Amino acid sequence: MLWTLLGVMVLLLLLGFPMMIPLIAGPLIIILFFMDGLEPTIMIQQMVEGISSYVLIAVPLFIFAADIMTSGRTSQKLLDFVGAFVGHLRGGYAITTAAACTMFGSISGSTQATVVAIGKPMRERLLKVGYKDSSAIALIINSSDVALLIPPSIGMIIYALVADASVGDLFIAGIGPGVLIFIFFAVYSYIYAKIFNIPLAPKLPWKDRGDVTLKALLPLGFPIIIIGGIYTGQFTPTEAAGVSVLYALILEVFIFRSIKLTEIPNIALSSGIVTAAVFVLVAGGQAFSWVISFARIPGMLTDAVLPADPTALNVLIIVAIFFFIGCMFVDPIVVILILTPIFAPIATAAGVDPIHLGVVIVFQAALGSATPPFGVDIFTASAVFNKSYLDVIRGTPPYIIMLLIISVLVILFEDISLFLLNIF
Amino acid sequence: MQWLGAALIAVWGVVRKGLLFLDSALHSVELFILKWSIIAISVLTFGNVIYRMVTGDSWFFAAELSRLSVIVASFIGISYAARKGRHISMSAFFDLSPRKVKKTLAIIIPFVTAIVLFAVGYYAVLYTHGIYVSGRTTAAIGFPFWLMVVAIPIGCFLGGIQFLRNMWINLVNKEIYLAQDKKDYSEQ
Amino acid sequence: ACGGNDEGNVNEDNNGADNNAGGDEEAADGEAADVEPQQWRFVVEETQGQVQYVYAEEFAELVSEKSDGALEIDVYEFGALGSEVDQVEQLTDGIVEFAIISPGFTGTLVPEGNIFALQFLFTDDQEVNQDILNESEAINEHLAARYEEQGIMPLSFWTEGAMQWTGNSELRTPDDFQGFQMRTQESPLILESYRAYGASPTAMSWGELYTGLQQGAVDGQENPIFFIADANFNEVQDHMTISNHNMYVTMTTVNPDFYNGLDDATRDIIDEATEEMRQRGFDIQEEQNEEFLAQIEDDDENPTEIYELSEDERDAFRELAIPVRDIYRDEEGGEEGEMILDMLEEEIADMSGEDPTETDGDTEENEDEE
Ligand code: NA
Ligand code: NA
Repeated sequence: MLWTLLGVMVLLLLLGFPMMIPLIAGPLIIILFFMDGLEPTIMIQQMVEGISSYVLIAVPLFIFAADIMTSGRTSQKLLDFVGAFVGHLRGGYAITTAAACTMFGSISGSTQATVVAIGKPMRERLLKVGYKDSSAIALIINSSDVALLIPPSIGMIIYALVADASVGDLFIAGIGPGVLIFIFFAVYSYIYAKIFNIPLAPKLPWKDRGDVTLKALLPLGFPIIIIGGIYTGQFTPTEAAGVSVLYALILEVFIFRSIKLTEIPNIALSSGIVTAAVFVLVAGGQAFSWVISFARIPGMLTDAVLPADPTALNVLIIVAIFFFIGCMFVDPIVVILILTPIFAPIATAAGVDPIHLGVVIVFQAALGSATPPFGVDIFTASAVFNKSYLDVIRGTPPYIIMLLIISVLVILFEDISLFLLNIF
Repeated sequence: MQWLGAALIAVWGVVRKGLLFLDSALHSVELFILKWSIIAISVLTFGNVIYRMVTGDSWFFAAELSRLSVIVASFIGISYAARKGRHISMSAFFDLSPRKVKKTLAIIIPFVTAIVLFAVGYYAVLYTHGIYVSGRTTAAIGFPFWLMVVAIPIGCFLGGIQFLRNMWINLVNKEIYLAQDKKDYSEQ
Repeated sequence: ACGGNDEGNVNEDNNGADNNAGGDEEAADGEAADVEPQQWRFVVEETQGQVQYVYAEEFAELVSEKSDGALEIDVYEFGALGSEVDQVEQLTDGIVEFAIISPGFTGTLVPEGNIFALQFLFTDDQEVNQDILNESEAINEHLAARYEEQGIMPLSFWTEGAMQWTGNSELRTPDDFQGFQMRTQESPLILESYRAYGASPTAMSWGELYTGLQQGAVDGQENPIFFIADANFNEVQDHMTISNHNMYVTMTTVNPDFYNGLDDATRDIIDEATEEMRQRGFDIQEEQNEEFLAQIEDDDENPTEIYELSEDERDAFRELAIPVRDIYRDEEGGEEGEMILDMLEEEIADMSGEDPTETDGDTEENEDEE
């Protein structure tokens, strides 16, 4: 039964079916052919259950807020701000890119939004000062991946939903690893610029810096609202997402006047399409999760890949490998939906902190989705920048190696994710 | 017999017009739902925060109406995404396949997808009917729960029909279509 | 191949062998019954180690013993099969045979069951309350019938312990509840009860509650002690009030079609196990609630001030809680509910009005029966 299930799902995925189909067809086949007397209507119940969580409502809201800002000027202000302070350093433009991606990641929940908002304008600046296109694109893809770790993060919301963990805590725990990635990338950018002798940009006078800082103050309010609001008890993560929509509207429509109010429904349409595509997956994922729990499958599978009495480290390593490989092929959300219900119970039994587990999983999702051959980010970048597949992957190896190193660190030292939680 | 053929063609013309009109009406409804559900969720969520900060009380209906919007948008979205070829898929092998294989897949994939959606739609009708009979209501507002889930059978059937059209357009045309409104990247 | 089935067969064989070895002894006692081997599923609303789960496991053991291992019950912890409401539907659809269902999660299906949301309705002696639950005609006949109409057959009603308040400030008088953000389940009567005290009740998802209490998004919550300690709420709350304002009532239920379709011998086994579990259920919750109360008291790292309401202080709340019963009578419970509440009020008065020594006698009698 187990192998039928996985076989059908992998086959449908690889053939290029819409991803909701393997998620729905897998459990449907199990119910129809392996479960005597079980009515398939149970799947519908669980599909409803899957998208009924109040926490999940944060997802369309963060997507909407990011879409509003991507159509407006927020990202431009952030770029000017970071550029004014670090643009003149050795590797300054690359560092600016990494920093701006990290910052925009702290506004938007998704890698794709960050690639579009920061990647598009930064790629032109990078090319102008002499970066090779392949290294510029590699930098952008991998820096944008930080968006999954820095709050808000759609990946974390989905994990929290499946593992019944606190979204607020996960958000905080993602900051450490996210910043660590930025530091690695910044150091690498510095060394790279030194070796390839990338010319320096002029240093901005302090007056101009003050000017751009003032203009960036408003966009910099997002992380304060999201993290600050959640952690002072002003609102829940879902409400924080709602407030960031309101904030984005006020900023772009009334203060920057970059978007007309009449354009908002069309922006909402694009958020609505993405939401629907993601939520159908979440619905199917819950149906899948129910069937494997009901048939007691997690035990069977983990018996096959784990030693009898696994340590926390055993589990984390297996989890990391499975999620990494999974996310190399399939959208991270689907992987989180499928694998979390299988591994979370075993991880908890082995004494892994569920928040740390969430960070490791989301980290692997970020890493896997940037890794050739099939990481989804590569296809996003290929579409956004209109470059061939090979051009997009050529520059990625150094970043993948750095991310692998950081991922080992994150697995070994749970304090990288948990120390901020202990301070708060 | 010629008049019969002519009559059939005329009737088909009328039916076709009617269907196309119905389809464009459905398309508008889908657009409307996708746009306004997102806006509704936003207003309900930040409105509730503001209301609570001012009055100290919460909108008891906010969570349930948001949930309703999310469910309706998600399942009506199946149909819209099918028209536009916007469903998330792992297309790497498809993209790298030779043209003949691609064409075959472009017919088989929407066909099987439609069958799966019709099957799910059928069970969703049974489920919705069961809820309707039970008379279950929602916890906060107390409106009938079947209204919460009726978007699922509707969305699955409409989605299934759109996928059949995606198959049809690949059967009658030489080019490869990812959806009726979207040709394969290699042919754009 | 289906791994699950293979495994199942092996287990069955093993169990059969084991039980045959010890079976002669039991047969000699005349207790073992000859029944068809069957495998059932039992889903609970709590996770491993918590009261409902322990109850279900012991129930499963009893049934297995009484049937010489022929009747196997697989216990599913909360989360495996969806939400509490999903579990109810799975019971009525026969996907699971047994479930522990709390009336709080079926309020929209059986509004009469919201009677258990009324605060200060029962006594503050939990043993008396359990006796009422065991013997009340209002509950075991009239209310149970409402559940059966919805495909849920209650075998027994039992308490998981008295509900207590925790807060980031003292909760001793209704004044303390003015403007207090109280997290409750999403049930109109519970919300009304706290509004009656002057609080602002809000619903918040379970996953966010710890952080919500820590950061002050909500000020307090209500639960039995074992639940409070298991979720570590005492770490983020400074005060706990032993308010006994209500008790957490739950039901052991079966799918009626399944139950009525069983042969007499099999059904007798279930009934016996249910009866034996009445006292065990009470003991399990009492042990856990006492143990966890001690743990909260002894936790010096996260000190919690524990205060027990006096009878006078309880009366101040009771006075405000009694008018909420009219909302149940007029709106929530309907005609049937009104009748049930009237009858239950009488039964409670009868049983708590008795001489305390007699009440004790009743309890001992119950124990003797087992
Ligand atoms: Na982010
Ligand atoms: Na405390």
